[in-house]
Amino acid sequence: MDLDFSKEEQQFREQARDWLQDNVPEDRRPHHGDAMRDYDKEWQKTQFEAGWAGVSWPVEFGGLGLGLTQQLIWYEEYARAHAPDNHLCFVGLHHAGPTIMACGDEAQKTAHLRGMLTGEEIWCQGFSEPNAGSDLASLKTKAHVEGDELVITGSKMWTSHGHLADKQELLVRTDTDAPKHKGISWVIFDMKTAGVELRPIEIMTAPNLPHFVQCFYDEARVPLCNVVGGLHNGWSVAMSTLGFERGTAQIKDQIRYAFLVEQMIERARKRFGGANLQNDEIGSRLAQLRADMAAARAMTYMVVSRAKAGLKGSESSLMRAMVGDVQQRVRRLAMDIIGPEALENPEDDDWVYFYLRTFSTTIAAGTAQIQRNIIGERVLGLPR
Amino acid sequence: MNLLPSPEQEQIVDTLKAFLSEKAPVSRLREHGALGNPDQALWQELGQLGFLGLGLSEEAGGVGLTSADEALVYREFGRHLISVSLFGTTLGAHIAASSGDQGLLDSLLSGTTTVGVGNLFSDGHLHQEGCSGEFHWFEARDAQFVLLLDESGAALIATEDCADRRKVNATDASLALERATLSNAKPTCWIGAEAAQIHTRALLLTAAYATGMAEATRDMAVEYAKDREQFGKPIGSFQAIKHMCADMAIRTEAAQSQTFFASLVFAENRDDLALQVVSSKIVAVDTALKNAAANIQVHGAYGFTAEADAHHYLKRAHVADQLWGDLRTQRIRLLSLSPTAQ
Repeated sequence: MDLDFSKEEQQFREQARDWLQDNVPEDRRPHHGDAMRDYDKEWQKTQFEAGWAGVSWPVEFGGLGLGLTQQLIWYEEYARAHAPDNHLCFVGLHHAGPTIMACGDEAQKTAHLRGMLTGEEIWCQGFSEPNAGSDLASLKTKAHVEGDELVITGSKMWTSHGHLADKQELLVRTDTDAPKHKGISWVIFDMKTAGVELRPIEIMTAPNLPHFVQCFYDEARVPLCNVVGGLHNGWSVAMSTLGFERGTAQIKDQIRYAFLVEQMIERARKRFGGANLQNDEIGSRLAQLRADMAAARAMTYMVVSRAKAGLKGSESSLMRAMVGDVQQRVRRLAMDIIGPEALENPEDDDWVYFYLRTFSTTIAAGTAQIQRNIIGERVLGLPR
Repeated sequence: MNLLPSPEQEQIVDTLKAFLSEKAPVSRLREHGALGNPDQALWQELGQLGFLGLGLSEEAGGVGLTSADEALVYREFGRHLISVSLFGTTLGAHIAASSGDQGLLDSLLSGTTTVGVGNLFSDGHLHQEGCSGEFHWFEARDAQFVLLLDESGAALIATEDCADRRKVNATDASLALERATLSNAKPTCWIGAEAAQIHTRALLLTAAYATGMAEATRDMAVEYAKDREQFGKPIGSFQAIKHMCADMAIRTEAAQSQTFFASLVFAENRDDLALQVVSSKIVAVDTALKNAAANIQVHGAYGFTAEADAHHYLKRAHVADQLWGDLRTQRIRLLSLSPTAQ
């Protein structure tokens, strides 16, 4: 048990801090559309060119080939420098990329990993369907083999930024006779393929602007060599990266939210007066959140500690469940602190926007309820 | 950076686990409730094993380990609901060591001198020259000293110096509780808060103790949910119960991670020490209280009985909450701390 960082790790931290200080974009990140896409790609490219884009990615794909501790340090410094998240690169960097690294063949790695890191290749996810959400394995989008191609027909739902993406990690049913977890394949799908149509879906933060798309596939053809990890083996391919590696990236949110709680304390002191806050319900909630944010950060350290020790259990879901809940409570309290201003949603102030946005934290990537099933069954060993 | 206990630390914890499982199963509280708590009889053996002076230097007669190791063993003490009198001995030993009273220190580390725990009940103040106020005294009945501490410092007061004591019925009936009024009682031993970070250490050990209770109630609830069948199935297969257990596990992971983290920050004496330790007490006590309640609910009517151990954890969690400032007090304190660069 220790909080020590080696001399090399501390040097790495100083280098990261210095570089971020000089290079973090000064303009605010747009929340939508091509402007957001250009912004994310540009910032990703800047990080790549300076060598910071993939701290723990192998050197052969443009990464630094360093360990989880350096990855953690990078994200800590990233958040401290108030660097913006480039959400459009998220699926590539944290999901499709690690999946291809774990299960892809050499050609697939060579074709895609570098582009994810440089920001040239934007990825989206094609997992959920209109009738396959929490019960993901019941997905029905079908694909059959014709020669050296897969022919895909069906529909995918809740694909964030699908209209802005180049590639999609797509789960399709390639064997309809097999048990539901056995007949699925994980496919690299080009969003420009003929036979694909996108229907935009607006979300509660921003009516009139699409966030999700629903994707319709009408006999869309994909080369068979785009199947990752073997035909019908897609479920275990998809599960290979759901978990602990992404623990390090969570530290960014922990630190940002801790900053936010400090801002909220300042704002509440101004509005109510510091002394009045002491016996006030808002003061009590602020203090509890300050403690909870400290704990969320410690939990992230715990996730990284377990990963470094090679313990690849489902325990990281404990941290995820906690953090989803805490983020919602922070944003909810922010609304109470700003009071009547909460009814205004100006373009240049994010407080209300992010309050609305955090409703996704207990839904996306497995609802809070599914998380609790996983915790109950895989961490605690309760029967199904 | 590593929050997991090292193999050496695991070994220490395993030794203690084996000792407590044999000598202090939680079922002892059922048998001894009305007769008084027998835990102080264990102090001499715990002393021989080194557990009473774990965080004290070897020159002082301790084991020379850190606050992180103390926190790890206090987790086990909480899990077994060991008498809170142990806080009196551990913290009392730090006070004796810091004030250079080697004779007192030796008798504390050997477990022959016992120390009750005083907790401020209403207005009062602690001072080197004299301590005044109304206090709850836990487990002071047969003890030679009582420990008093707050943000200004810590005192060991000879129990015989206080005539104004009366026994009260304790909510947690496995602890002997008195109300004691002191007027200008001069401490036998006194240290300021800076020495040995005594007040912060008390909060940290309470957080660790509460974490142990939270883990125990989580485990009890999960075991019962696997075992108890209704509607032809283990009740843990129902999401209503499964999700309660999952929530217990989520909270416990938060309490454990934060307490480990804070114990390391304590050992390094970092700038954010107060913030991390107060946070750990808030999160751990809140978790101990919530888990204790959830554990009773998962056990159903059985959980409501005196023979189930569930109620002991609830009552002790309220004691841990009150010790050295309850959740409300700690939240006010946490809000008043300035943010740190950490």
